[in-house]
Parts: sequence; structure tokens; C-alpha cells
Amino acid sequence: MNTSPIESWDGAEAYFTFADKPAIMMLFLLIAVVITFGTIIIAAVHEKHAYNNH
Amino acid sequence: MEQELAALTERLAALESSTAMSGTINSEIFYWWCTALMIAIHAGFLAYEMGASRVKNVLASGIKNILAFAFMVPTFYFFGWYIYLSFYNGLLPAEDASGLPWELSMGPNLADNATGIFWAAFTLFAATTASIFSGAVIERIQTAGFLILAILLGSVVWILGGAWGWHPTGWLTVKFGYHDVGAAGVVHMVAGFFALGVLLNLGPRVGKFNADGSANAIMAHNVPFTITGLMLIIVGFFGFLGGCIIYMPGEQWINIYGQPTTLSAFAFNTLMGMAGGIIGAWVKTRDPFWMMSGALIGIFAAASGLDVYYPPVAFALGTFGGFVVPMVATQLEKMGIDDAVGAFPVHGVGGLIGVVSCGIFAAGYPNVDGMPPVTLWGQIVGAVTMAVLGFVPGYVASYILKVLGLLRVPDHIQEKGLDIVKVPVAAYPESYTPAPVNTATPDAAATPAE
Repeated sequence: MNTSPIESWDGAEAYFTFADKPAIMMLFLLIAVVITFGTIIIAAVHEKHAYNNH
Repeated sequence: MEQELAALTERLAALESSTAMSGTINSEIFYWWCTALMIAIHAGFLAYEMGASRVKNVLASGIKNILAFAFMVPTFYFFGWYIYLSFYNGLLPAEDASGLPWELSMGPNLADNATGIFWAAFTLFAATTASIFSGAVIERIQTAGFLILAILLGSVVWILGGAWGWHPTGWLTVKFGYHDVGAAGVVHMVAGFFALGVLLNLGPRVGKFNADGSANAIMAHNVPFTITGLMLIIVGFFGFLGGCIIYMPGEQWINIYGQPTTLSAFAFNTLMGMAGGIIGAWVKTRDPFWMMSGALIGIFAAASGLDVYYPPVAFALGTFGGFVVPMVATQLEKMGIDDAVGAFPVHGVGGLIGVVSCGIFAAGYPNVDGMPPVTLWGQIVGAVTMAVLGFVPGYVASYILKVLGLLRVPDHIQEKGLDIVKVPVAAYPESYTPAPVNTATPDAAATPAE
């Protein structure tokens, strides 16, 4: 898989992975959002279990 | 001759290009180290919160603080930076809205040396606000509820205040000449009033108040650790305040509003305000917790006008803040509010002193681009805005979390201790440290504060 948006450093600007593939950028952004907010939900569930077990 | 002139012109152009690039990279380096220093603020709050907790809650307090830092980073990337750059007119995005996480400036880009480093500095400002709030609610808030509130404060609420009053074209500055270079209002007031709103719904720690309403002192388990943590916060504030001004390669520094300033101005007044705060708190309390909290109060009391004050003015403001704020903490406790580290008095009231006093002692300083000069009225409008902006979201969001059962740790769990319930390791496994016995609060020594 070629993740680079550039073929040369000459004149390169945005050179981060998938900079030329907006759909994949959005996919990774979505994954990051799900991780961030999903773990809060997991934290809430974990806490409830912990409190109920004590 | 013509050839020599052409060669000279070429060399001059190369020199200009090289100088410009050096300036750009120097600017990046400056904010890189400001950001690194600001991590000391978070480390200081971490030490202070853990030290202020009882043995049975030490690690749970630490986990909460570390998570606040971790969750600030992605959420400020997702929407915090966008709010700052786009909501300077009010509650709707401006036509030139920017800062969305899918823009090409929001990642490695050889044509943009500024966005990443400024985003990082502002993310650390966000982490500071979350830490301020974090200390107030130790030993009885649920982790999930805390994280939701921390994200709301750090990646939405304070940065909205920042867009309004800590931005070159924020409406508070454009319409009222609001001046708050050291973020007394947009960071400290907002965070302090947000904490107050949450505390009203969260309630006190079990054992803090007796049936007749009198208060018990819940003693910090490690006093030296709390004092060291507070000193570490002071170290970090030199990164914070350095990040409040703008490096202009080849030109004089400017503040966040575009007015010329110097790092020297900030050095004079930060240290003088800090020293005044320590002395004021020492005179009032003789308490080392409050002396170090007084150092912070002194900085906040001078923060709005750090760029223009005559240093003895900053010293006097710091002394006043350090003397007065402990009394606010005592009064808050008498009202039945358990602010475990004095976040509201120190940051909310300390910031309020800073914002309003700037309208008195820095009135008349001119603005740029035709915007109004500094006035007492403009500062009062700014102070009220920041208080409301902090308090209302804190109160409403925590009320919703309370209704959903996501806010307060059940009382029987508080009595048992959070570490043994939620944390897989022990803070002090090789020694037995008994939990402190609650005693009546001495008149002169209120709750330790940040």
C-alpha cells in the first residue's frame, strides 16, 4: 500500500500519510473519534460494575 | 559591473530567504519549548491532586488527572482548534472558518510551520483548564462523568471564551477593548466558575460536613508533595505566559491582540505579581498551602495587564489577591461547598481580580486597528461574560450527568476508598498509612488550594 501523497520532496507541501486520499483521512479520523468517545462509554460501564461488586 | 550587481542581488535574495527561514524556525522553537514547559503545569496539578487526596484515593486522583490530559489532545484536535479560529464573532462560525481536522494544515506540511505548534500550545492551555477543574472534584467524581465535563471545559467552553476575548478579532476586543493578555478571564475565570457550577451538583465528599453544617478538615495525605506540585505549576506558567505572546520574526513581539510588547514586560510583572501573592497569603494564613496558592493568585491578579503594568502595581495586585482569596475559600466552605483544592477561589476569584483591575490600572491604553482602548466597562463586560460562560455549562452539564447517574461516586464506595475499588495497584504497598482522622477546620487554615 502506497500511503505517500508525494513522489518527490521538491515543492512538497502537505506530505502526511493519505493527504491526497480524503476518504481514507476521514476513515482514520472517524476511528480516532470512536476510540476517544467509545472509551468513555467503556469507562462508565466499568465503573458501574466496580461499584456493584463492592 | 552588471554581472556583479546581478550576483549581489542573487546573494541578497538568498540571504533574505535564509533570514526569513531562520525566523520561522526560531518561532517554532520558541513555542515548542513553551509547550514543553506547560506540561509542567499538568505535572504540578497531578502532584498536588494526589498529595491533597487521602491515601485511599491517591491513585484514582492521579488517573483522573492523567486522563484529562490524554482526552484534551484528541478532542482539541477534533473541534477545539476549529472553535478558536471560527467562533470569534459569537456562537456561529465566521465566514472564514478554519481549523477543521481534515484540513491540509492539520498535519505535517512543509508550507505551514505555524499551525501545529500553535495548536499544541493551545491544547496545553486546554489541559490547564481541565486540570484546574480536576482538583476541585477529587475523591468523589466518577471517571466517565469527569471526562465528559473535562472535554466540555477544555475543548469547548474555555476556547469559546478564548475566541471571544483572546483573539485578534474576538468580539469582546473589537466591541469593548477587552484586554486579558495573560488569560485571567478566558482560562482562570472560566475554569473556576465551571468548577463552581459542577460542585453545586456534585456535592461534598463524605465526611466533609457534619449534620449541623459545620465543616471538617479533610487533610492532605502528603503535604510536601502538594507544595512541590504547586511550585511546579509556577514553573509551567512561564511556558504558559510565553505562549501568550506572538513571536514575529524580524520584528517586535506582539500580544494576542496585536499590540506591541516584550518578554521583559511579562518577566517583570509575572515575578512581581507572584511574590506579592505569596506575601499576601502568608500574612493572612501563615499556611504554606496558601502561600504557594498565593503565588498563583498573584500571577492571575496581574495577568490581564502583564504587558503594561508598572511592576509595583503587579506586586500590589498580587498581594491584594493573596490576602483576600483565602477568605473567599473560607466563606465558600461556610456555604456548604466542598472545593477540595480551592479551584474557584484561586482561579475564579483570582482571575476576576485580574480582569477587573486591568480596567482600573490599565485604563486608556490604546488598541490597534481602530478597536476601543482598555476601559473599566469593557473589563466588567468581559468578566461577566467569562463568569457566565464558565458557570452555566458546568452547572447544566453536571446536572444532566447527575440525573443520568454518571456524576457522583456512591457514598459507600467513597468510604471504602476509590483505589481499592477501581485501581489494580496500590499507592504504598510496603507500608501501612492510616487514613487521616477528620477534625474541625481551624479558623485560619481553610482547605488547601491550588
